[in-house]
Amino acid sequence: MSVMSRVGLLGRAGLDTLSALGRSGLFLFNALLGRARFGNGFTLLLQQLYSVGVLSLAIIIVSGLFIGMVLALQGYNILVGYGSEQAVGQMVALTLLRELGPVVTALLFAGRAGSALTAEIGLMKATEQLSSMEMIGVDPLKYVIAPRLWAGFISMPLLAMIFCVVGIWGGSLVAVDWLGVYSGSYWANMQNSVEFVDDVLNGMVKAVAFAFVVTWIAVFQGYDCEPTSEGISRSTTRTVVYASLAVLGLDFILTALMF
Amino acid sequence: MTDSSDYIVDLQQITFRRGSRLIFDGVDIRIPRGKVTGIMGPSGCGKTTLLRLIGAQLRPDRGAIWVNGQNIPELGREQLFAARQHMGMLFQSGALFTDLNVFENVAFPLRVHTELPEDMIRDLVLLKLQAVGLRGARELMPDELSGGMKRRVALARAIALDPELMMYDEPFVGQDPISMGVLVRLIRLLNDALGLTSIVVSHDLAETASIADYLYVVGDGQVLGQGTPDELMNSDNPRIRQFMQGEPDGPVPFHFQAPEYLSDLLQQEHKR
Repeated sequence: MSVMSRVGLLGRAGLDTLSALGRSGLFLFNALLGRARFGNGFTLLLQQLYSVGVLSLAIIIVSGLFIGMVLALQGYNILVGYGSEQAVGQMVALTLLRELGPVVTALLFAGRAGSALTAEIGLMKATEQLSSMEMIGVDPLKYVIAPRLWAGFISMPLLAMIFCVVGIWGGSLVAVDWLGVYSGSYWANMQNSVEFVDDVLNGMVKAVAFAFVVTWIAVFQGYDCEPTSEGISRSTTRTVVYASLAVLGLDFILTALMF
Repeated sequence: MTDSSDYIVDLQQITFRRGSRLIFDGVDIRIPRGKVTGIMGPSGCGKTTLLRLIGAQLRPDRGAIWVNGQNIPELGREQLFAARQHMGMLFQSGALFTDLNVFENVAFPLRVHTELPEDMIRDLVLLKLQAVGLRGARELMPDELSGGMKRRVALARAIALDPELMMYDEPFVGQDPISMGVLVRLIRLLNDALGLTSIVVSHDLAETASIADYLYVVGDGQVLGQGTPDELMNSDNPRIRQFMQGEPDGPVPFHFQAPEYLSDLLQQEHKR
């Protein structure tokens, strides 16, 4: 391959990326701006909150529990060497609230709900359901996409909170009930060191940012997919890969800005 | 713009490309109001594209598409969705919403576009389902229906809002003779009973010719011919005759463009 054709390919890839970014921006703008004219918008949102949020509860609770337990176990093993094992509660809470809660929830959310959103919307496109909706005079961006976007934006931060709460409880199960750390110091150290604005609120800001990015990627990949079985499979993979990378990259930037 | 009372759709000098391929090159097509117009042509000649252009799911590179006095490519998003409420389209696959049963599929346009009370929606849905002969199937889910039934439910859904213009995308493909006969009868019946205008895009010659008042034959990005079915059957244009008589070879060659046969075969020998 000649140098010029390589440069040409690079240019083409650059143009494709820019055009996809432009399309996804317009997509978000059209989906979120302007009110839907359908009276049952709230019912649509509730249905999506159920399938995106409530159905993700099981994986979030179980993962939160295990991550909290592992954090307590690892933390205890290190801290006990310095005789400061009563700080384990503080360590579990800060790690979960600042980092692991939002990040792991977003990664699990991308795998559980994001991939499902992409596949569902992609299949609706491949079977011409989106086209037929357009021809009925209903904008799929308002009817199909907007409720799913809002459901993701609302449910993921809530899932991240639940993840943190369950994780802290899991940590206490291991540290207090199993390893014998005094329960008063587990909770009191946590209470003294965790700041509402610095830790809890900043963690939630992260969760909101991740919710926005993950849901946007998932829904756009479904809507923009090539309407074939390979196209849907590629888009679903892309959702998980792009969303995971975006979450980890964004996490670094937000951490650098916040803490 | 033309007199909107005679023609519901007026395509003027439509040019449309897909990638580097020219699908339409300055095509003019007018659809007379109240009639069944057939658009025919070989597979891949852009018949479905034509319907998607009228429904504004695609935009032409050049030309005007007047539907009921509105130039469709120039409409804004809101106006476009309003204009589509007066159009109905039957997709090849039926495109039913798989999470809704037959009744809810037909009720969908009524629920989103009207604020009718529930008992009136029920009456209207049953009326439309009765018209396509599937009132008894209202509780079934789309995956419990045969291909022909799906298409009839989709037809009932497409006429739910009493559109002025019905577009049928290859309605006869993959149908057994009975459901084919049912669909042929339904298209004509609905057109006359509801006072619609119908566009039937198809390559099934006999069926389309039997119900159409007027036919267009498209191919190579052009309108090859137009007229009543009888006029086209007796056309002396060799391309139209080949299509109407179903001859395998003629101006439309049997072979896809390829290098000369003998040299193509010998090329392998040379490589060895």
